[in-house]
Amino acid sequence: MKIKAKEKKGLVEVKILLDSPMVGKEEAETRKVEVDFLTHVTAKINGKVIWEASTGPFLSKNPYFMFNVEGKKGDELVIETINDKGVVDSDKDQVK
Amino acid sequence: MQRRKFLSLGATAVAVASVLPVSLSATDFRATAPKAWEAPSSKEAIEALFGSSEMIDGQIEIKAPKLAENGGAVPIGIKSKLDLAVVALFQDANPRSAVVVMELAEGTVADLMTKIKMRKTANVTVVAKGRDGKLYSAVQKVEVSIGGCGG
Repeated sequence: MKIKAKEKKGLVEVKILLDSPMVGKEEAETRKVEVDFLTHVTAKINGKVIWEASTGPFLSKNPYFMFNVEGKKGDELVIETINDKGVVDSDKDQVK
Repeated sequence: MQRRKFLSLGATAVAVASVLPVSLSATDFRATAPKAWEAPSSKEAIEALFGSSEMIDGQIEIKAPKLAENGGAVPIGIKSKLDLAVVALFQDANPRSAVVVMELAEGTVADLMTKIKMRKTANVTVVAKGRDGKLYSAVQKVEVSIGGCGG
């Protein structure tokens, strides 16, 4: 996944690009591929959960999210994802 | 049940609850409202998720293209001056309506964007719950020229 977090006047703009084909059951049938999508995404700044999303297969492939949260340069941002099979992925970056 | 046994059961339950990982501190809407994720129409999904259809209009802004060329990734922006706790996105273009339910911790501003799949022209609905406990909504029609549900 890709994470970008930039502070501007006390507000951090977070942009994340996650890795998942986001295939739901109907799409899996037509394309003859396996169902595979993210079910939950969590964002933490300095260990505190600040944003999270319960997600479904109608988000675009490799889902994109942008959100704004109070924070400052140097804060540590951690993104965690979990898919329909329970596979967990995480990545971190510093707020610039 | 014997009182002693009951008490010890309670203690076990508390212990289990306290070791849950931090990331699960808020709600997993897939687990708490499974029906909402299976509902074919926005109306049913919204009722299953929020339990009410009483909404306040005009406080939330949806930023979406009037005409989306690629239905595989339609950018949807959501903006509001309100202090929102939960923001949910629905559409009527796919077999099921619910797309994403976001939870914003205090200090998170309601200025969000994501990209969704839409295989045909349809309405996109945003329903948000404010920290005041009230429900707010907004609807916008998005025209799609090429569908994006893999066929």
